[in-house]
Amino acid sequence: MTNNLLVIAQIAGRRCALSALDVKSVIELGAVTPIPRTPDHIAGITALRSQALTVIDCRLALGLGDGRSGHDWPTDHRAAVVSDSGHSYALMVDAIEDITTAVGEPGQVPGGFGAEWSRVANGMIETMIGPALLIDLPALLAGPDTVRHESEAAL
Amino acid sequence: MDDLLAEFIAETREMLEASSGEIVAWEADPTDRARIDTIFRFVHTVKGNCGFFDFPRLADLSHAAEDALADCRAGRRDPDPQMVSAVLAIIDRIALMIDAIEAGQEFPEGGDELLIDALSDTHETLAEAGSSAGKQGSSPHLDEPGIARPDMADDFTADRIVPGRRADPAAAQRTIRLPVELLDRVMSGVSDMVLARNDLAHRLRQAGNQPTIDGPFERLTTILTDVRDAITRMRMQRIETLLSVLPRLIRDLSAELGKQVMVDLDGGDVELDREMIETIRDPLTHIIRNAIDHGIETPAARRASGKREIGLLTIAARQSGNTIAIVISDDGRGLDEERIAAKATATGLITAAERSAMSRDKILNLIFEPGFSTAEVVSNVSGRGVGLDVVRQNLERVGGSIKVASAPGHGTLFTMQIPLTLSIIAGLTVEAGGQRFAIPQSYVEEIVQGSSRALDLTHMGEAALVTFRGNRVPCLMLAEVLGLEPGTAALRDPTLVMLRLASGDLFALAVDGIHNHGDLVVKPLAPAVMRCGLYAGSTLLDDGQPVLLLDIANIAAAHELVSETRIRVLQPADDTAAQVTPDAPRAMLFTDFAGRRSAVRLELVQRIETAPVSAIDLSGPRPRAVIDGMILPLVGLPETPLATHRVRLLRLTDGGGEVLLAVREVEDAVMLDAALHPVPEDPLAEAVTLIDGAPVTLIDAHALFARFGALPVAASRPKCTIPTDDWARTILAPLVSAAGYEIVHSDDPDPDPTTIAIIFDEVYEVAEALGRAPSGPVIRLRDHPDAPKGCATIYRYDRDGLLAALNAASRPSAPAPATAGERA
Repeated sequence: MTNNLLVIAQIAGRRCALSALDVKSVIELGAVTPIPRTPDHIAGITALRSQALTVIDCRLALGLGDGRSGHDWPTDHRAAVVSDSGHSYALMVDAIEDITTAVGEPGQVPGGFGAEWSRVANGMIETMIGPALLIDLPALLAGPDTVRHESEAAL
Repeated sequence: MDDLLAEFIAETREMLEASSGEIVAWEADPTDRARIDTIFRFVHTVKGNCGFFDFPRLADLSHAAEDALADCRAGRRDPDPQMVSAVLAIIDRIALMIDAIEAGQEFPEGGDELLIDALSDTHETLAEAGSSAGKQGSSPHLDEPGIARPDMADDFTADRIVPGRRADPAAAQRTIRLPVELLDRVMSGVSDMVLARNDLAHRLRQAGNQPTIDGPFERLTTILTDVRDAITRMRMQRIETLLSVLPRLIRDLSAELGKQVMVDLDGGDVELDREMIETIRDPLTHIIRNAIDHGIETPAARRASGKREIGLLTIAARQSGNTIAIVISDDGRGLDEERIAAKATATGLITAAERSAMSRDKILNLIFEPGFSTAEVVSNVSGRGVGLDVVRQNLERVGGSIKVASAPGHGTLFTMQIPLTLSIIAGLTVEAGGQRFAIPQSYVEEIVQGSSRALDLTHMGEAALVTFRGNRVPCLMLAEVLGLEPGTAALRDPTLVMLRLASGDLFALAVDGIHNHGDLVVKPLAPAVMRCGLYAGSTLLDDGQPVLLLDIANIAAAHELVSETRIRVLQPADDTAAQVTPDAPRAMLFTDFAGRRSAVRLELVQRIETAPVSAIDLSGPRPRAVIDGMILPLVGLPETPLATHRVRLLRLTDGGGEVLLAVREVEDAVMLDAALHPVPEDPLAEAVTLIDGAPVTLIDAHALFARFGALPVAASRPKCTIPTDDWARTILAPLVSAAGYEIVHSDDPDPDPTTIAIIFDEVYEVAEALGRAPSGPVIRLRDHPDAPKGCATIYRYDRDGLLAALNAASRPSAPAPATAGERA
């Protein structure tokens, strides 16, 4: 049952779900050191104990919100710490809502979720507190630009 | 050397253990190519390692086995059971020899030749030695001293050697091997503890002083610092331990090959994981062997091509966050593109069509392909088709890489890149555009602070140049590189960090300011961040703030600051090259008291001293000065008395004698690259030369030392005895010795009559009453500040009074330097 546990967060005003197995912890986001000359969705690095976390602004990683502003949605000071292929990231979201269990398998919605969302979504999942979009973590971390390059390369 | 030997033994043992499975598998199927390769690499490595040590028997055995295996690999010979047995017998013999070496015992003589003969495919040896070896080699008991010479089996049974392994525990230093992952965990745990401590410290400061907590907290801090140091040291080792053995290896190799090679090592203080040092040891040795064997020409050939007879081998290490670059360059004949291409085509590595489409760079890098070797003569030293492919394989296994660049006739340059997942480096924290960044200290040549005018900062098109030591050096604005708003201070008064790349290229990085430097624990960055090519990692400052570590090599490469040839020994005429080649003599430039600019050869200058005028003694026939308690002859003083209180002295030495040269001003170390014009009329001048267009007199060292040189004489400092209690030892003694007195034991059986005795008044009175008062001058101390007028005692904290009394007491004897001078 544990793999059905989900962390529910608001990203760009939408309810999204992250597998609780991916989320190591939820932290208060402290000072973020920006990293010059990196893609926009990389907000910077922050320290968690002796570890350095790469901070990803999920709204910008989706390709939503135009570059600099990023404040189209209110920001919670909490961030979800996730790890992908040995590196740890802090995900900046609108808000962390709850931890809940999934009911059923992820499914697709006729007509899709829209270009930005389809790229990072594994599908819709029903949870105890209502439906949420199940996020594909590597796709989200890769950011909008990389995905575009890769799809171009694939063509 | 003991360390190296222990490592050699441990490594060989480990390889033996690892390859024992392979050996058994090979025995089952002698034609198995993969097994042959593995065993071949083992004997090859043993042979290579023997190059460090003087183990001729080990070298002969492994060389013989390697030969036979090389024949198999090349298809010149089919591995048959006899040969397998013979090779196994040799491997077993190697194991026994290693045991004997570790136990510090002499391995019994003899037997080696028969083992080696058993390898050859001539039938008479096979008939006797081969059959017995075939029988015994497969037995798991390593008792083959008996194999080859059954008649002597009783003389050196394994009994005599094997127990020695345990009998002599002092022979090898006790070490244990731990998984690196465990060390990593401990280390990150300690890092977390440090941060938790910092947090606690912060809270304690807010809460105000709490003596009951502060004490234990201080202790915790000290312990934590110690533990962190120890943990760090566990993993880290200076690359020097690897480099320090190279000069000897290079000397031996070049002697063996009839070549003359000079070695230039740089970057020995770069620290890296022990594990990484082990990983690069073999690759580095292989490349050096190759460079000496194939790269550097014989002295005659070098002379013919207009080079210096002595070849130059440069090995430089630079660390940049998660990578360490080791550059090995020689000024030999360079790689022959055509020959490599021809060889690669012949061995079927590439087709002729592919060849014509390949760039020179690509062709050169074919030398790392398995089975490639251009050596025409197989020597003891290198070249059998292993070597470079093994090098690349070893490096790639740990995520590293190797590449080669070469200019025909001028030299070859190998660049090894080794990643470090976790490392501690010395780093400099700088600020640009309001943000902090770290730079690995190993790149930093110098930090220059000054106005744009002084640095002669000029913009040529988009590029900026500064003048550093007379050279125009490209300059990057860090804020610009990072796309940040530059601080206003950076434009007017930039702080320049002069950075030297592993390739020898120098460039300046303009920053807004320098914060501090210290040890940084470098952590890897997410791939998306690494992709922008500016950063090598991240690190946390003491306050827990994350800081990005700049990837200097990459930034320089992106701005095309790495010269194309990338071989700094290539341009002997160039200024920067002249600095690294010790060709042009160097001299210390100074202005003497007559206002003349003069120079003295730099090799002679031992130190630049600044001495008080009082250290100079003019009473003797020749001026002398006392420096560090030594009396040295002094030249170059003006006729008139000195106006200053201090005088700058160049301390010159010819190896034995020393001379002090008084100068008005020391300028700089300079190259003596202009012609030297002799001046016979001035006996103390070797020549006149031009430095920066102005004439400079070069001091004739020969004449100087012939006239004035003298062996240094210890100045006899006036002796003084003090009371034996703690107060005297800790409080009085430093004062007395700082005043120039030597403290001697008061119970000296043969007291010098000039020895001054400092003694407490009450002790003195007792001694006097007993008729045992000191014979020399006496200074009596009292405990109370107040004393009747005319009292002969001095209050013990009356510093001036004490010094005056000492001075007065030592006055009766002649001034010390003069006495000593006459004695000399």
